[in-house]
Amino acid sequence: MIRNQIALLRREFWEHRAIFFVPVIVAVLMVLTSLTGQVSIGQMEHVDIGILGATNMPDNARSAALSGLMIAVSSTFVFAMWILTIFYSLDSLYAERKDRSILFWRSIPCSDFETVLSKLLTAMFVIPLVTFIIIAATHLFVLLNVTIWVDLRGGSVWHLIWSAAPFVDNWTATLVFLLALPLWLSPFIGWFLFVSAFTKRSPLLMAALPIVMLPLLEKILFDSAVFAETFFVRSVKMPLFVGLDNMEILFQEGDEFARLAEAKLSLMSLMDLGGFLSDPQLWLGIIVCGLFTAAAIYVRRYRDES
Amino acid sequence: MTSLVSARNVSKSFGALHAVDDVSFDIEKGRIMGLIGPNGAGKTTLLKAMLGLTDCQGSLSVLGLDPFRQRRELMQNICFIADVAVLPRWIRVDQLLDFLESVHPRFSRSRAEELLAKTDINSKSKVRQLSKGMVTQLHLSIITAIDAKLLVLDEPTIGLDIIFRKEFYGNLLNDYFDGERTIIITTHQVEEIENLLTDVMFINHGKVVLDAKMDDIPERYVELLTSGDNAAKAQQFSPIYEREVFGKKVFTFEGVDRDQLTGLGELRTPDIADLFVAKVKGGSA
Repeated sequence: MIRNQIALLRREFWEHRAIFFVPVIVAVLMVLTSLTGQVSIGQMEHVDIGILGATNMPDNARSAALSGLMIAVSSTFVFAMWILTIFYSLDSLYAERKDRSILFWRSIPCSDFETVLSKLLTAMFVIPLVTFIIIAATHLFVLLNVTIWVDLRGGSVWHLIWSAAPFVDNWTATLVFLLALPLWLSPFIGWFLFVSAFTKRSPLLMAALPIVMLPLLEKILFDSAVFAETFFVRSVKMPLFVGLDNMEILFQEGDEFARLAEAKLSLMSLMDLGGFLSDPQLWLGIIVCGLFTAAAIYVRRYRDES
Repeated sequence: MTSLVSARNVSKSFGALHAVDDVSFDIEKGRIMGLIGPNGAGKTTLLKAMLGLTDCQGSLSVLGLDPFRQRRELMQNICFIADVAVLPRWIRVDQLLDFLESVHPRFSRSRAEELLAKTDINSKSKVRQLSKGMVTQLHLSIITAIDAKLLVLDEPTIGLDIIFRKEFYGNLLNDYFDGERTIIITTHQVEEIENLLTDVMFINHGKVVLDAKMDDIPERYVELLTSGDNAAKAQQFSPIYEREVFGKKVFTFEGVDRDQLTGLGELRTPDIADLFVAKVKGGSA
């Protein structure tokens, strides 16, 4: 069972090379952008001051600024990761039917349950883990780039950058966030897998249609917005961060930034992991995901492909 | 018990269409069975039922297992080639071997590599880079390297040129078949596999119209080539089918003693293709 699962996960990695290439492309873009100075210094003035070697900046603010830089890098990946997850999930059970290779996959001793499970695990864990590794590497590249810049200007790179950057906290928080996001969005992932298993054509359209049409119909017919709110809240309000909106933290400036800077020193302290994991909404979502996944397994197993 | 596949009153309907209609048969171990029928006769549905890819009514047992409910166990002992185009196009040959080595307890990588070494297939090639013939060679090689009890081939050589087709069946007999293994094969190119088969089953409109050992065919069936008065006499033995070739009549008889027909014309054993036409067309006439 475990041996099969590992082989099936490797298979997903071979087939969907985008799992690796999408974050790598984002990483290359980030590093290039960093090289031209757009991200690391050009746009973020607070970071700029810190890196310029201004000793008037308190250590914790410098750490917060570096953490902010790291978050700016990570957040681009998060967006790319979610797009990747959507396309991966929609393709995972559709491509094998389109090229008829499903007949080959079903000729080997792996059950439909094992196969669909490998797709779900890829969307939920493999993609976030690969993304995380590449994010961490990108952080190092970007900071290295900043190091060269600071060093050329005579700054103390150890003091200003490497001892100041809160690696452990930032990376732990990033990993937790990357793993929590697909869990929170799991009903969508389950829905995408199901669409991928049953649709005869254009999975993207088929998947998007009810997400758009249900709220619209509800508005027209009942003038209510239960679906719209459910979809919206699910999409943007992951209850992982306490007190701070996870987007807000990235875009504040001025005084508000200074206040947040203190908080940002420890991203982990901003997270309420216990609260997140005990949120009924999370588990409701996971149940919905489980039901859609079971439906996907059922369709793969029972539909005659002739 | 030597019966590898045992079907009793197996049926499968799609709405009003009876794709497989109350079929019973046995396939014994170590046989090469040709399953022959026109398009839409129910061959593929029957194969799918045997492979556990579709559910059916009646009792069907393959290797003592219920194919639909015990598909995973079954697949450890069955291989099938649905047609030439189903290997995933993105996979590399060595990845395919890696994968099978991990998931298939009966797959021998060294055997597969040995077989592939005889071909022009590079282990770093992707399936999409291989010609259709090479993909079939690859598929047959990996399947030969699986120590399975039953091999099911559904139109395995469709779209291949004659050289690859001959080679495919040559390899099938030389490398795969060892007298212990069992093969079920469907194809339109009956002539090419005729000499390979030990058993033959005709299926039409979901019914089995013939289920026989090849060795028994000459005893059961005879073809008479004749003309004129002799043709009229031959009619009395109620041929199952008649056709005209170059102005002469050809009659196909079932269960008629050759001695009775001697003197009426030229006698011969019908080949499978002719017998198939006789059974299918004669049956519906």
